[in-house]
Amino acid sequence: MTQLEINGLFAEYSPSLPILEDVSLKIETGEIISIIGPSGSGKSTILRVLVGLLHPSQGHVIVNGTEVNYKSPSALKSMRDTMAMVFQQFNLFQNMSVLRNVMIAPLKIKKEPEAEVEARAKEYLEIMGLGEKFDAYPDQLSGGQQQRVALARALALRPKILLLDEVTSALDPEMVNEVLDAIRVLSTKGITLIIVSHEMAFVREVSDRVIMMDDGKVVEIGTPDEIFTAAKTQRCRDFISNIIQH
Amino acid sequence: MSYTLQWGVAFDYLPYFLGGALVTLHLTFLGFLAGLIIGITTAVAQVYGSPLMQRTANIYVVFFTNTPSLVTAFFIFFGLPEFGILLSPYLCILINLALNAGAFLADVFRSGIQSVKTTEMEAAEIMGFSLFQKVQYVIAPHIAKTLYPPISNLYIIFILGSALASIFGVEELTGRAFNVDSETFRSIEIYTIAATIYVLMTFAASFALALVGRYVFRVKARMF
Ligand SMILES: Nc1ncnc2c1ncn2[C@@H]1O[C@H](COP(=O)(O)OP(=O)(O)OP(=O)(O)O)[C@@H](O)[C@H]1O
Ligand SMILES: [Mg+2]
Repeated sequence: MTQLEINGLFAEYSPSLPILEDVSLKIETGEIISIIGPSGSGKSTILRVLVGLLHPSQGHVIVNGTEVNYKSPSALKSMRDTMAMVFQQFNLFQNMSVLRNVMIAPLKIKKEPEAEVEARAKEYLEIMGLGEKFDAYPDQLSGGQQQRVALARALALRPKILLLDEVTSALDPEMVNEVLDAIRVLSTKGITLIIVSHEMAFVREVSDRVIMMDDGKVVEIGTPDEIFTAAKTQRCRDFISNIIQH
Repeated sequence: MSYTLQWGVAFDYLPYFLGGALVTLHLTFLGFLAGLIIGITTAVAQVYGSPLMQRTANIYVVFFTNTPSLVTAFFIFFGLPEFGILLSPYLCILINLALNAGAFLADVFRSGIQSVKTTEMEAAEIMGFSLFQKVQYVIAPHIAKTLYPPISNLYIIFILGSALASIFGVEELTGRAFNVDSETFRSIEIYTIAATIYVLMTFAASFALALVGRYVFRVKARMF
């Protein structure tokens, strides 16, 4: 079943400077999609449109068969209810402990019972290897640890679609695999994943499909094997060979 | 020097002075507390409000931060009865303190709101926080932590500034010192005692604020 559909999407941060140009794609429920492409190609921008931080200037976003009306706060809210996002930069609440960071939205926004939320929060933090850090504050954690808290926080919302924007790019090398392992576990749980990553081996391993972007446009969409070994476009082949050499 | 110090007379009034100090404390505490609420509301209106709300908030802040609080106090004291609102001097002064504190705090809060990391606000936004919830869970704690020291200092200044209440017949510390002075004429002794009580009060307040800051907001403030 198609869970998410983007049709002819244009988006810009400042008028007349389009960042995304005519992006269209379809994502099935439970699918794992990776978006790759050079820096500045608009990967983060797509995710920002999907969570409503940026409103499209043209085109449609359709979630579970319903077109999102970006002008309607309630439509945005119900779209966000299905999604969670982990950003490239750390975006934890600095004034809250690790546990509180993970609990706050389910508890205060979704009004779920505290005992249940706390148990779930602790479980996810333990999966992320942060069992000892419940009471720490973000400024007492390494970047890698903060990013894992952010992952646990996103999971605690029990999203249908999880958006991961270069979540491993700030991690210590030995932590990368631990987080990638956690994402692998997620990938078997039927949750739809949209992953922006420069970890090409990982992308190739976990993705059902890979989207190659360049300069705000979708260059190519295909299975990992198609993209990594038999790309149709020269641009995609160049990018892959460049990245693999580095 | 023809003036001989006679401490005994002045000390007889010590309990009366301390009672006045208590009035000063609750007057400034309540006024400042109301000022905190007014200040944060105004600052939120200035940053996130509709153009009309922004303009109204700006006029309020500009008016009160650029007018002597003695003048605004007269304004409230003599102005409100014109509208049929008759309040005790204590309440008039309380309102004046709250409105003045609110305006100064709004300025402090506005810069605090603008210093919240956009990444934190975006995280809150996509997790479905309403504006009120962002203020409650993200902005206010951030402000509390980063702006706690300047806000504490402002509170001390308001304790001292509350002496103007005596002009309006509120029997706080300065008012009572004035009363005793006009009966006994022991001015130097009386105002020495009053000044000492002010010093002790502000020290106690600074100390209490630093303790609260350290344990509630994790602010590493100096105790003195
Ligand atoms: N907040 C913003 N305001 C203005 N322009 C922006 C903003 N964020 C991104 N851009 C511009 O939009 C373009 C696409 O940025 P985007 O962050 O989507 O790229 P990306 O593919 O995620 O790159 P990276 O791999 O470096 O994260 C870039 O040219 C960038 O300069
Ligand atoms: Mg990016």
